[in-house]
Parts: sequence; structure tokens; C-alpha cells
Amino acid sequence: MSSDFKPNIVGFLCNWCSYAGADLAGSSKMEVKPYLSVIRVMCSSRINSNLVLTALLWGADGVLIAGCHPGDCHYEQGNYYARRRFALLKKIMETLKLEPDRLQLSWVSASEGKRYAEVVNKFSDEITKMGPNPIHKNPKI
Amino acid sequence: MNGNIGVYVCECGPNIGEKIDIDKVLEAIASLPHVKVAKRFGLLCSNDGKKYLEDEMRKEELTHVVIAACSPRDHEQTFMTVAERAGLNPYLVQLVNIREQCAWMIPDKEAATEKAIKYIRAGISRVSLHQALTKKELEVCTDVLVIGGGISGIETALSLAGEDRKVFIVEKSEELGGKANKLSRLLPHQGSTLSLIQEKIDTLNKNAHIEVFTGSQVVDARGFLGNFEVVIQKGENAGEQEIKVGAVVVATGFDLFNPEENPAYGLGKVDNVVTSLQLEEMIKTEKVLLKNGKPPRSLALIHCVGRSEKGYCSKTCCLNILKNAHFLKDKIKDVDVTEIYRDLCLPNKADQDYYEEVEKKGVKFLRSNEIVNIKAEGGQISVEYKIDGKSKKISVDMAVLSPAMIPSADSKKIAEMLNLPLDPTGFIKEAHGMLEPIATPIEGVFAAGCSLGPKNIPESIIQAQATAGNIISSLIPGKKIKPEVKVSVVREEFCTGCQTCLSVCFYGAISFDPHKGVSVVNEAICRGCGSCVGSCPSGAIRSKHFTYTQLYREVLEALR
Repeated sequence: MSSDFKPNIVGFLCNWCSYAGADLAGSSKMEVKPYLSVIRVMCSSRINSNLVLTALLWGADGVLIAGCHPGDCHYEQGNYYARRRFALLKKIMETLKLEPDRLQLSWVSASEGKRYAEVVNKFSDEITKMGPNPIHKNPKI
Repeated sequence: MNGNIGVYVCECGPNIGEKIDIDKVLEAIASLPHVKVAKRFGLLCSNDGKKYLEDEMRKEELTHVVIAACSPRDHEQTFMTVAERAGLNPYLVQLVNIREQCAWMIPDKEAATEKAIKYIRAGISRVSLHQALTKKELEVCTDVLVIGGGISGIETALSLAGEDRKVFIVEKSEELGGKANKLSRLLPHQGSTLSLIQEKIDTLNKNAHIEVFTGSQVVDARGFLGNFEVVIQKGENAGEQEIKVGAVVVATGFDLFNPEENPAYGLGKVDNVVTSLQLEEMIKTEKVLLKNGKPPRSLALIHCVGRSEKGYCSKTCCLNILKNAHFLKDKIKDVDVTEIYRDLCLPNKADQDYYEEVEKKGVKFLRSNEIVNIKAEGGQISVEYKIDGKSKKISVDMAVLSPAMIPSADSKKIAEMLNLPLDPTGFIKEAHGMLEPIATPIEGVFAAGCSLGPKNIPESIIQAQATAGNIISSLIPGKKIKPEVKVSVVREEFCTGCQTCLSVCFYGAISFDPHKGVSVVNEAICRGCGSCVGSCPSGAIRSKHFTYTQLYREVLEALR
């Protein structure tokens, strides 16, 4: 791992809670590491497994899925579906020899700008420490 | 694609202009495929900015537009409106957030500029796949179904019915008025007589725009805001009637916790142990008497019956018990009245004064954590209770139990029929406990009064009127509604008919077509969350405006 490694992290944020939380982090002028690229979806339940796997297979060093806190989903139950899919994805990643720690699920509400910054910064640090997604070195896995 | 994409970067005054090197951004994107123009502007959301954008869209004959500015939560609608004015479908515009999630959170200008380029590239890549979406207009029925003829249902109907709006009230019992009509009287500060409620019932019966079905039940209701089809089972043998309405109000009220569930309360086993509703009946007929026909010399009025069992405070019983204690003290000479309570709930402005007035009359108040046992002893009733770990006992002639309010027996069935969630207490769950206290998660279905949880009469009336207001403003005679367009669609050729989508759709928007063997989305009900898209194992469901390829393009740009 080189010391100037700048990871590429994909962040799927739900429109109602986490995307708004990210906006709040910005409008509160909190410093957030620039490695995560945000993709807005209406609900965390929209993220299908193959979208996450595609991102990882195409070389994402990390994938973050963020949605509303349990019980707070704008669509009532979407985040629970996201959580189940997340648990399943971790298993699939193991079988594909993708490190499961490269996928994270977090709950960030619209009022948690600070939490958003913490989640992204911590995840960015963890991924930086893990180094590049090994798929870069061995695209066959 | 064939087309001309216009990219406009907003300086947002110094907000973006000073944090991001916009010229560098423009240089990086100007030569991307299909980008016809890439320009900067001071403040695009200003009147000058909007005019500029509109002129640009026309002049450059743009087919797609990317605006790099603030969060879509801020100005997406603003720029969609501009596009519409310029004759461009508003869904062919993509607002890229380079302010909140870029300029404002990345202090290093170079890094922020790099990030902005990445986001704008993703926006360009995505927008080229956007399809024009058109809002459909649907006619609405402005009539309303109210389930439940208690005080909430009555008030809702009275507030709604008029020349251009008919209201159907369906009440399962034979008469209107609900539990409020079973009370002996109201609290003094609520108006002392029950005739106020009877007056409402009389007004309702005279209203030509309200149709009342008593002894009836709603057996089926399906549809969406503006268009519900409802089947009413009239009486025992009176057959069914189908009606069409635009909104449904669930005002199914409450039932009372049955104290017989806990033998410690002695109800049904011990003579002269009665419930508060039985006492109300005795007060109504002015015959507060023991089983032996004599008036009681002492009574224990027991609060919080079911408070521990149910886990919540019913918040209306305290005042009702105070009212009854007041009456007993006035009507029975030298009677001894003791209230045994766990929590004393006096939340409204007139309550404290009333409590003090009752206390002055000589009513005693004992705090207890638990009723241990109520049994017959020496010709009287012994009430054993616990306070701070110690057991205590009083003896009285009569014990009156005030049971907790619980969801009405039918509410579960009705919730299932309408797809409404219940909260852990079993009452209907509000769309949002704080911000949308009378809406349910299902558009067009509202709830009022005790169907949502324990409430007193004034609170129920407030909710009924609020519900009516909400319906009046969403179902306007002659005005069409425009449902969400970013909805899900099933591509029949890929659908295997597994029906996973039916089980994840919270709104009941998906049905199964048994002839074709495929799922079908009702676009008027779909809210566009994409749960079905995420869970479809064959990728047969497409989320308009959040398609797989659109998101995939964004992923690719993120990894570039």
C-alpha cells in the first residue's frame, strides 16, 4: 500500500435521511474526506445487490449504504430490506473473495450532519488502511 | 445518444465560486461527448439566473441540462420549473450537488475541484439516459368514507359534508355517538351536559350530504387518494352496497381493557366491584346502589387499571374519575371517596383547578404502585395495594375500576384491509408522530381520535377537524391530482411471477396478474421508493428516473 493511496468509495444515500444528513454536514461546514462519491437514491431499499457487487468488481475500494434509522424510514420498512440485503451481501462477498469489510451500512438521519461526517471519515480511514481493493491487482477474482 | 447537453455551473456567490476552481471544471467537461455548452453564472436561482437559463435552453436547443449548484433538496424544483417554461421536459434536467456535499465539506480547493468534476461527469453521464416523464392527471372523487360514528367520526363528517362533498358514515353499532354517549356527563369545563353531543348527532342526521349506515361494516376498501372503491355490509341481512370515495377516515375509537384478565382486580368475582362505565350508567339513572339496594357509604375509585398490563397511560381516565368523585360527594350524604392512583395525569389548563376543587370536597388520594388484590372481607371489599414495596389495605363498600383504553376490536381488521401499520400498543400508527399526527402512511387514508391512541373529547374533535381540513385541501372539486411519476414499472418479459415485489411493497401498489403470470404496478399508488426494484431477483422492475443503468453510470464515474 502506497502512502498516497486515495481510495475510491461509493456511497449510496437515501434521499430523505442520509442525503439530507450529508447536506447538513456541508452546511455546518464540517470537514469530510473527499474519497466518497455520493449517489442519491430515494430509499436504501432501492440498492440491489448487483449494483453493490458491480461497484466492487469494477474496483471500488469501499461501498457505503446509508439510510434512515430503523423505525424512521420514509417508506416505513425500506431500511429493513436494505439491512437484510446487506447481511446477504456480506456472505456473497466472502464467496467472491471480496473483503466484506469493504461494505458498510450506516443509519444517518437528516439531523445528523455530524454523524455523517464521522461515518464517512471513519470509513475512509478504515478503507485507506485496508489499501486498494485487491481486484486491481488480480482482476480475475 | 443524440443530443445537446448544456452544463451550467453556479457560482452561488462566493459559496462555490471561491471554493472551487470553476474555470478548471469547465475546461475538464467542455469536451465530453454531447456537451454542447459549458458555462458559469453568478447565481442561477436568482430571477436573472432563471431567465438566463431559460434563454440558454432555447437558444442552444438543449435536449438535456446539467446544473451544478446546490443540493437537489434546495432547488431541484426551481430548475425543473425553468425547464418547463423553456419547453424542456423537467426530468431531462439533472441538478448536481457541488455546494453542500463538495464545496462546503472539502476545504482543500484542489480536492474540491476534482470532486466537483467527478460529480458533474456523473451528472452528464446520467442525464443522457434520462427519459422525459409526464405527470398524469387523474380525476378525483371528493366524497369521503368515515369508519366509526363516535365523536371523531361525527365531527369529521360535519366538517366535510357540503354541496360538493358527500360523506358516508359507517358505524357498527346501532347508534351514533360512540363511547362519549355512554358518559353520564362531561367535565364542567367541557360544558356540563351531554346534550352537546346529542345536538351534533341531530345536526348530522339532518344533513342531506351525510349518509349514515348504522349496524354496518366496511368489508372491503381498495384504491388510492381520489379513487377508493368501498363495499359496505349493511346490517345483518340488508345486503351489500358499493360506494366510491376519494378518502377514507378511520375513526374506530377504542375499547376498554377488561379487568377480568387480571383476577387480582376481583371483577366478576367480588360483589360491588364495578367498572367506571357501569358507574356512569348508575350515575345516569341516579341509582348508585350496592347489590343489597343500599347506597354505598364508602367507595374506592381505582385508577390505572391496565396501566401496567398495557404499558401506557390512557391520560383521560383521571379527569373522568375526578368528575365521578365530585358527583358522588355531591349526591350521597357523608360518603367516603378514596382515589387510588399510580400516575395522576392532569395535562390541561383547567385540570389542576378541578383536581383541587375535588380534593377540597374531602376526596382522599392514595398513591399505589400496584393493586395486589381486591376481595370480599367482613361484608365489605378489601383493596390491598402496594406503595414503595409496602403492602397497605383499605376497606370500602364499593370499588370502581377505571380500565385503560385499548384499540377497538375491529381496528386490526380495518388496518389490514387498508394496509395501515399499527404501533406496538396496537393503535394505528401515524405517518409521523410529531409532524403528521393524523395522516397514515397510505395516501388518502386518514385517522382521527382514539383509533390513534387514548384521547379526550376535545382532542378527538381537534383531530377530526384537522383531518377534514387535510381532505378539503387535497381533494378539491374539479381539480385533478398528479400522482408521483418516478414510479416502478414491471418489464413483463423478464418477470418470473415470483411475487417477491408484492411482499415488499408497503403500499400495496403491486398486484399479480394471474393470466399473464406477471406483477403489475398501480402507478397511482406507487411512491417510488424502489424496494421492489431492489428485491426483484430477475431485474424485471425498473425504477423510473433511478434506473439501473443511470445508477451504474454514476458508479462508473465515481470509480474513474
